[in-house]
Amino acid sequence: MYGKYVLRRAIYGIMMYIVMIFVYSTLFNSVADSTQRSLIDEQVAQEALGWKNLTPAQRNVRIAARKADKISQYHLDDPLPSRIFFRSVRTLTFDFGNSTTIKASNGDRLVIGIIGEALPRTIVLFTTEVALVTLVGVAMGLYAGRRPNGLFDRAVSTLTMITNGLPAWWLAMLAIMAFSYNIPIFPSGGLHVNPAPTGFHGILDYLWHLSLPLLTLFVLGVWSTAYLVRNIVLSNLQEDYVMAARARGVSETKVLFGHTLRTSMPAIMTMAVLGLFSSIAGNIIVEGIFNWPGIGNLYFEAVQQNDVPILMSTLAIETLLTMVGFVLLDIIYGFLDPRIKVGGKA
Amino acid sequence: MNLGDSLRGLREFWTEFSRVKSGLVGVAILFVFVFLGLFGQWLIPFPDAMHHWQDITYWEDNPQAAPPAWTNWFSAKKGVPSSDLVNPKVDVTKGDNDVTIKAFTFDFHFRYDLAPKDLIVKLAGNGPIPAKIEIDRPDGTVGEIWRDQLNLAPGQPERISLSRSTADGALNFVQSQNQDIASTIDPTLIKPVTVMFSKIAPDMETNPVALKGDYKIVVTELIPSSDYSIDTPTIEVSGHVSGILGTDKSKRDIFTGIVLGIRWALIIGILTSVISVVVGVFLGIVAAYFGGAVDWIVTRIYELVYLLPVLPFLIVVSAIFKPSIWTLIILICLFFWTGSFKTVYSMALQIKEETFVEASRALGSGSWRIIVKHISPILLPYSFASMALAIPSIIVYEASVSLLGLGDASIVSWGQILQAALTQGAVINNLWWWVIPPGLSIALMGMSFAFLGTALDKILHPKLKTR
Repeated sequence: MYGKYVLRRAIYGIMMYIVMIFVYSTLFNSVADSTQRSLIDEQVAQEALGWKNLTPAQRNVRIAARKADKISQYHLDDPLPSRIFFRSVRTLTFDFGNSTTIKASNGDRLVIGIIGEALPRTIVLFTTEVALVTLVGVAMGLYAGRRPNGLFDRAVSTLTMITNGLPAWWLAMLAIMAFSYNIPIFPSGGLHVNPAPTGFHGILDYLWHLSLPLLTLFVLGVWSTAYLVRNIVLSNLQEDYVMAARARGVSETKVLFGHTLRTSMPAIMTMAVLGLFSSIAGNIIVEGIFNWPGIGNLYFEAVQQNDVPILMSTLAIETLLTMVGFVLLDIIYGFLDPRIKVGGKA
Repeated sequence: MNLGDSLRGLREFWTEFSRVKSGLVGVAILFVFVFLGLFGQWLIPFPDAMHHWQDITYWEDNPQAAPPAWTNWFSAKKGVPSSDLVNPKVDVTKGDNDVTIKAFTFDFHFRYDLAPKDLIVKLAGNGPIPAKIEIDRPDGTVGEIWRDQLNLAPGQPERISLSRSTADGALNFVQSQNQDIASTIDPTLIKPVTVMFSKIAPDMETNPVALKGDYKIVVTELIPSSDYSIDTPTIEVSGHVSGILGTDKSKRDIFTGIVLGIRWALIIGILTSVISVVVGVFLGIVAAYFGGAVDWIVTRIYELVYLLPVLPFLIVVSAIFKPSIWTLIILICLFFWTGSFKTVYSMALQIKEETFVEASRALGSGSWRIIVKHISPILLPYSFASMALAIPSIIVYEASVSLLGLGDASIVSWGQILQAALTQGAVINNLWWWVIPPGLSIALMGMSFAFLGTALDKILHPKLKTR
């Protein structure tokens, strides 16, 4: 029964993923085609430099033939639906291929390599941030939930509302202005000083470069997490079993940690798991401002240079991870709450 | 529901709302924003700026990257604020053969430690007009720093920047005062305006000391015959500090930009959230009410959109299609309707089973009548709260797209101002008056809507108030 439920959720997730890849492929089609065509023109012009003993007429014929060859090789002469289809299939089979312009640090143009270089940096910054925010946020939320309308609770609510419409990248700009130029205690961006130090000194330098972006994101993000946890906890505190527990004389601390936190766990876990999975996408603008060469920065570079293979692959990986997060949560829910897998509708 | 009922309902709502302090703060801030959005046009120093924001010539008289005027209170060396000198004293002399000489005297009270960056004299009129500019200094000396023949035509005013076109005049002035000091000055590096507003002293080139007092700037124009005419000239003082919020590197007045941005932030925020919440509520009700295939399709679309990463998607679509602000609004709507869908959907599932819906159906009401007349009114209050709560992130999304240079460049939005600040190095050069106000405005407006939305939410969902 449970196996069947897991299988159904997984298949459903995979189908959603396939549909989304088709959406991306359709979106990128026109850009990808024009970029590919100009790339072919360039390549053929390069080749033509080598054809020395040809008359101009022969040369033109040969150039046209080469172009036609390449165009059919890249499926550019296929009808539109088939082009969209083949790009989707290539992405779905993780055949990401080569980028059009962006290179990895070793000069390689393999998309997997380029993403593999950027991904760890994003994880170090954003996944750490989400983990920290979740840990501190849960603690703060519980504390705020203990005394609703108390001083701390109101501070959390107010700061949540303030940070709600506060762009993280603006706070990043202010942080750099304040702590890199006016009071120069942190570097203004990048991964390390140049040249990069090695060994223990290198680790310290990396942490030093990490601290300002991490602190900025943490200070901005922690309030809304605390507020969310506070709301989850508060709505559970109104349940009958809490009243029953209190009536039995269970201590307030035990009610909070033993009863309420336990029933709040699925909701808090949803928040944490989705946060961790989506943190891998990084933040396009904040990475740009701190000059942090992660996935977000790579994505924006790809947007500017029309590098469709990179765009397609980053989006595909991000979507896949989000999808995995959702399916995983559904499966865990089904395990925790047997009612879900019978009803089918969560 | 008749008018009396709704009035009473409104009054009850207001009594309850006025108990939520943060909601009142939100409404107050919002009121200021709406007021400035509607009437800001008449409060800003550059009223036509809306159509000239990207127009370099419109802003050319302002100083570049000047801090706000009030920074003078905190700085040891006071700079001249930018201002206009108008309504000069006019002396008319009639000469021979129909010739008229007009001398315009401008009083300039100079009490600052730093000379103006520039003085811009604007002459307008018609005909070949010889003109000269003299400066009467408080120490009694007079320097004629500029003299030329102007060919004025209607609609083509002449613009004389003293810092650019009076190097010779200023050097001559110093020579007439003190030959030795003049010989120390490098004629290619001379700053004429600084010279004219400084004490004549041996190291005046490297370390000028301002000569404070009342200056008179005299513009004399000779009108050759009655066929020709001139208008009264004006002088713009381009200072070290400027306006309420200073200027940016393109010499634009930032306060004007901020006030103009209010209108767009309100339009983008409110329009987008109203459209997306209405669509979300409508689809939620329809999916829940009809069920079956409709439910399946709408829910699948919801899940698809919910999974799309908003900002990467907006950025890539903006980069490909270069949307106008209206297209961008529709694009953001495509994402934001999901915000209210799920809650409305589950609420509508319950309401659909209520007896009054059944009764209405038994009386022969059609599906749409039930949806519009019975289900929507119950869910409407909820949608007001979600509208207000959606606005902050909508404004941030527009600003983010603009910050990356992918927004609609024909509007003046806070994101556009911040984009200019970021790309022109405001952060590295510590031009805080260019970075803080637009972001603070975004934050304040977001905050006011968040306060308002949370207050509405508290009243409509009293469950979270206490335990």
